[in-house]
Amino acid sequence: MTAFANEPRPTTILIGALGGEGGGLLTNWLVAAAKAGDLPVQSTSIPGVAQRTGATTYYLEVFPTPTAELNGQSPVLSLYPGPGNMDIVVASELLEAGRAIENGFVSPDRTTLIASTHRIFAIAEKSAMGDGRHDSDTVLAAAREMAQTTMLYDLAQAAEVEKTALNAVLLGMIAGSGKLSLPDAAYEDAITAQGVAVDANLRGFQAGLTLARVGAEPVDPDVRRPPEQRIEIDFPAAVAEYAAHGVARLIEYQDLKYARLYLDRVKRVLVIDEAGKDWRLTRETARYLALWMSYEDVIRVADLKTRADRAQRVRAEVGAKPDEPVHVTEFLKPGVEEVAALLPPGLGAALSNWAARRGLTHKLHVARRVRTDTIIGFLQLWLLAKLRIWRRRTYRFAQEHTLMERWLDAVISLAPKDYAFAFELVECANLLKGYGETSARGHGNFSSVFETLVAPALAGGEMDAGRLKAAREAALTDPEGQALGQALTG
Amino acid sequence: MERSFAKEVQALRLGDGDTFHGEGILAITKALLQSGVSYVGGYQGAPVSHVMDVLTDAQDLLDEMGIHFEACSNEAAAAAMCAASINYPMRGAVCWKSVVGTNVASDALSNLSSAGVKGGTLLIVGEDYGEGASIIQERSHAFAMKSSIWLLDPRPHLPLVVDMVEKAFELSEASNTPVMMEFRIRACHVHGRFETKDNVPAKISRNAVLTDPSFDYDRICLPPATYVQEKHKFDHRLPAAIDFVRKHKLNEVFDGDCDDVGIIVQGGLYNSVIRGLQQLGLADAYGQARLPIMALNVTYPLVDDEITTFCAGKRTALVVEEGHPDFLEQAINVILRKADLQTRVVGKDVLPMAGEYTLAVVIAGLTKFVEGAVPRGVDHADVARRGADVASNKTKAMELLGKPTPARPPGFCTGCPERPVFTAIKLVEKEVGEIHVAADIGCHTFSTLPPFNIGNSVLGYGLGLASAAGVGPAFGDKRVVSIMGDGGLWHNGLTSGVAGAVFNQTDSVLVIMNNGYSSATGQQHIPSTGTNFRSEPTGQNIREALKGLGVKWQRTVTTYEVGNMMKTLREALSTKTKGLKVIIAESECQLAKQRRIRPLNRKKLESGERLVRTRFGVDDDVCTGDHSCIRLSGCPSLTIKPNPDPLRKDPVAHVNNGCVGCGLCGETADAATLCPSFYRADIVQNPSAWDRWLDKVRRTVIGFLQGLPAVA
Repeated sequence: MTAFANEPRPTTILIGALGGEGGGLLTNWLVAAAKAGDLPVQSTSIPGVAQRTGATTYYLEVFPTPTAELNGQSPVLSLYPGPGNMDIVVASELLEAGRAIENGFVSPDRTTLIASTHRIFAIAEKSAMGDGRHDSDTVLAAAREMAQTTMLYDLAQAAEVEKTALNAVLLGMIAGSGKLSLPDAAYEDAITAQGVAVDANLRGFQAGLTLARVGAEPVDPDVRRPPEQRIEIDFPAAVAEYAAHGVARLIEYQDLKYARLYLDRVKRVLVIDEAGKDWRLTRETARYLALWMSYEDVIRVADLKTRADRAQRVRAEVGAKPDEPVHVTEFLKPGVEEVAALLPPGLGAALSNWAARRGLTHKLHVARRVRTDTIIGFLQLWLLAKLRIWRRRTYRFAQEHTLMERWLDAVISLAPKDYAFAFELVECANLLKGYGETSARGHGNFSSVFETLVAPALAGGEMDAGRLKAAREAALTDPEGQALGQALTG
Repeated sequence: MERSFAKEVQALRLGDGDTFHGEGILAITKALLQSGVSYVGGYQGAPVSHVMDVLTDAQDLLDEMGIHFEACSNEAAAAAMCAASINYPMRGAVCWKSVVGTNVASDALSNLSSAGVKGGTLLIVGEDYGEGASIIQERSHAFAMKSSIWLLDPRPHLPLVVDMVEKAFELSEASNTPVMMEFRIRACHVHGRFETKDNVPAKISRNAVLTDPSFDYDRICLPPATYVQEKHKFDHRLPAAIDFVRKHKLNEVFDGDCDDVGIIVQGGLYNSVIRGLQQLGLADAYGQARLPIMALNVTYPLVDDEITTFCAGKRTALVVEEGHPDFLEQAINVILRKADLQTRVVGKDVLPMAGEYTLAVVIAGLTKFVEGAVPRGVDHADVARRGADVASNKTKAMELLGKPTPARPPGFCTGCPERPVFTAIKLVEKEVGEIHVAADIGCHTFSTLPPFNIGNSVLGYGLGLASAAGVGPAFGDKRVVSIMGDGGLWHNGLTSGVAGAVFNQTDSVLVIMNNGYSSATGQQHIPSTGTNFRSEPTGQNIREALKGLGVKWQRTVTTYEVGNMMKTLREALSTKTKGLKVIIAESECQLAKQRRIRPLNRKKLESGERLVRTRFGVDDDVCTGDHSCIRLSGCPSLTIKPNPDPLRKDPVAHVNNGCVGCGLCGETADAATLCPSFYRADIVQNPSAWDRWLDKVRRTVIGFLQGLPAVA
C-alpha cells in the first residue's frame, strides 16, 4: 500500500473578509445550501477582535457525497484551511485576496480565486502623509499566476448597481464556479430561508451567477477630458497635458494673466530641458508649479465651497434624494496666519511676527461653523471668494512667489549640471500642501531640505540626487519630522 | 447584546432522536441541559461569550426547568458559584475566557478543588490561543495540574463533544473533582450536527428546592481539613478519575497499518492531524490513517497504561501538543521511561514550541516526523515531496507579491465613542508632551494600535489604574493617565483600582469609558447599564459608586466633544487638587446604538415622519492629501480615494457610506485646526412643506448669486 486515494475529498472554501462585511451570513447561506443537498458540511470562523474592523476568515468544508450514500461513514472535516488544499478562495476585497495568496492558500493546481478588485484601505495605507497605497497590480498579477482559475471583478460596484450586498454576489459566483455540485435553487432557498433582505440578496445572487458564467462587459477606461483651452500652448505633447491642466486651474484660481505667468515660467524650464529625457523635468515642473501657484488660502477655499457644482456633488456623495433638502455645515477655523496672509506684505509680516513672538501662531483661532446652504452663510463665503482681485497684493502671495522663484531658479541653474538632482528638487514641491499646521510643517520641511542640500549645491558644492530624494521621502514619513532630521544630519 | 440567539435557542428544546444543526457553543449548551444541571453561570469573553448570550436568550426554557442562570461579576464569582456542588449533589457549569478568566478565577478554583464536589461541576473554558486570540498566550493546562482539576480537550466532532460534556459530569461525580473542558476558538464557532436527547430536569433546582443545609467540616478549606483534602486528592480522587477515564474509554485509539510508529494528539487537534496526513497521502477523508493515532480527549490526568499499551512495540511516537510548556510530552516521556519502554518521543523538536498549530504548521511537523522516523511501508520520499509542495505555495506567493500585505489590525468601529477620547489625548500630548498612559482591557485597548499608538502598558482587565500605582510617582509632578472601561471597572477595577488609589491618596488621572455595556465581548449588560440581562432596572451607576468610595474630583464629559474633553484633561493634568481625578467619558457604544435606533428610524421613514440623517463628507478639491485627519481618527468610514485632481498624485481623504454622523470629524477639524475640507450634511428626509419652501428659496437665491439659472 502506498498512498491513499485522493478522492473523495471535501470541497474546501476559505472566505477572507473584513469584520462587518457579512462573511458570517455568506457562510450560513453556504451551510444551508449544502444541508439542503444532504451534503455533510462544517463551517467555522475566527471572529475574535477581528469583528471590530480587522481582517477575518471563515472556513467551510463540504463533502461531495450525500450523507444518505455514506453508509454510516462520516468524513473528518478540518477546522483549519490547509495551504495547497483550497478549492475555492473568496475575498471580499483585493488586499484580502493578497493575504490568502501570501499565506499559501491559492495554488495553481486547484484553486478558484473569487475576489472583488475594489480596495478598502488598511490603516497604514490611509494614514501615510503622502501616497501609502499598496500596489493593486502586483496583487492582481500574483492572483492570475497562483490560481487555477480567477474571477476578479469590482464587486462593490456590481453590488451598488444591483442595489444589493456584496456577499450575495459572492454567493452567486461560488455557485457559478460549479465547484460544489448543488443546484442554483439550493442557494436561492438558503437566501429565502435565512430571511435577510431576501429580494436584494436574490438579485445579488443572480448578478454573481452571471459574472461567473458569462463574465462582465468590458468597462471603457476612464478617458480624462482635456480642459477647455483658452491659451495656445505650444509645448511638446509630454508637457502639454499638464500645462493645459495648469492653465485651466490658474485661470479659475486667479485670471488669464496669472496663467500666462505660469506658462512663461514653465517655458524657462523647457528651454533647458532635453527631448531625450522625455521632457520629464518640464512635465513635473508644470505639475507642481500649477499646484504651488494655486496655493490654498481662504479665498481659494471659499471659492471652492461656493461653486455651482459643489452642492450637487455633496448631494450625490451623501446620497440625498432629489426632494430632500440638505443642510451643509462647514468647519472653518481661521487663525492669525490666515488673517496675516490676506494683509499687505508689511502689515502681514508684522502681525505674523508678533504672533510668533508671543507663541500665538497656532493658538489664536476663531472656530466658525458656516451653513453654506443658507443665504447668509453662503454670502459670507461668496464675498470672501471675491477677495480674489486683492490676492496679488497680499503677504502670502509675496511670500509664496519669492520662494517659488528661488526654487525655479535653482532648478534651472542646476539641471544642466545634474539632471537627476534638479528633478528631485522639482518633486520637493510636493512637501508644500495643506492648511494651518500642515502647511507650516511643509514649508518648514521644504526650507530645511533647501538650505541643507540645495543651497550648498548652488554654491558649487556636492549634488546627491539620492540623498535629496531620501530627505523628501523622510519628510513624508512622520509628522514629527524625526525621519527628516535623521536624513538631513546623516 | 450584539448577537441575538432568539431563533437558535429553539434548538435547545429538541428531544430524543431529533437532529441538531448549529454552532458548537449552542451544542455545548444543549449538552448541559441534557445533563441535568441545576445552575449555570459565567463571565463573557471570546470565544465563549456566546454561551452567556445563548443562556440569556434561553431564559424561558431555563425558568421552566428551574435552572438558575447567573451573569457573574467576574470569573472569580463564577468559579465561587460552584460552591453549591461542594455541599449538595447539584450539577452545575460555569464558563469563561481562558487563560485570563482562569487567572481571575484561580483563588476560588483552588478552594473548590481542595474541598472537592458532590455534584458534577464543569468549567467550560474558551482556550483563546493563536490567530484571532485577543489576549496573552498561555495554556490553561497548568491550572488543571496545579489544582488537580481534570482537563478535557475533546475531538471537535459535535456528537463526541456533547457526549463528553455528559461524561464530564459523571467523571466529576465519580472522582469528587471539578472538570475543566477547553474549547479552542474554531471549535467554539464550528457549525455541525448531532442527535439530541431529551433535556433532564435537575433533582435539586428552583422547581425542587433544598430544605436542609448540609454542614461537613471536611468540606471547609481551613486546616486541618485542607491537609485531609490534599491527601484525598491523591489517595482517592485521582485513582477514581483514572479508573473512570479508562473504563469509559474517553481517550480514543485509531489503528493504522504502519504500527512501528504512532501519533499521540490532544483531542482538539485530531482533525488537523488527520487532514495533515491526508494532504501527505497518509490518510483518507474518513479518518482512516496509515499511522496509528491516540486522541487524548482527557489531557489531564493521563492514564499510564493506556500510553504504554499504545507505545509498546513502537520505535517512535509523535506528540502533537499545542503551546508550551510541553506538559504532555514530558509526562509521556516519564511514563514510558518508568515502564522501561524505549519508544522515542518526538514532539517539540519537529513542531514549534509556541504558537497555534495551524494546518501549515502541522503538515510541516508531520513531514519532518515521517522523514526522521521513516515508518515501515511509507514512501517517505513521496511524503517529503508533498510536504515541500505545500510549503512551496507560500514561498512562490511571497516572491510574486514582493512585499508583505499591509496588516489590518482591529480598530474602533465607525462612530465609536471611545475614539474621540484618544483623539483628545493625542491633541493634549501635542501641548504638554507625551504622557504615560496605563491602558486596560476592552475595545479601548485598540488605542495602542495605529493610528493612535497610545498606551504604555496593559496589565489585565480592570487593572488600568492599579497598573499606574508604581510608575505614577516616578513621573513626579507629571501625572500619568490610566484608562479603564466600564466593564473592567465592575469586573474588579472599582476595588483594585479606584478604592486602592483613594486609600493610598494617589495623585493620578483616571479616564473611565462609560459606553453602557461590556462592549468588546458582545455588549452584555453590566451594573451601570441600568438594567440587567433580563432588562430589570438595577439602579446602579458609576458616579454614585465612585462617590461612595471617596472620589472627590469627578467630571463627566460626552466623548464626542473633543474640545471639552481636551479642556477637562488639561485641567485634570494640571489642577492643584491632589488625589485621584476621574473623568467619566460617556456615550453609548455605537454598535448598540445603531442596532437600537435603526429599526426605529426605518419605521419613522416608512410612516412619513420627518427625520434628519447626518453624515460627514470631504470636499475632494479642498483636501490636499496630507491625511492628518486619518492619523487623528482611524475611523473605518474615513478613508482615501484616488485624487480627482489630474495634477495631484496623493490620494484624498474620503468619507464612505458607512458614516453614522458621530461628529468626530468636525470636532477634530476644529480642535486640531486641521483643514476646511470637512463638511457636515444633514439630510432632511420626509421634509415638511416649510422645509421644501425654505430650501427652494435658498437654492434660488444662491443659484442667482452663482450666476446660474435657479435649480427648482
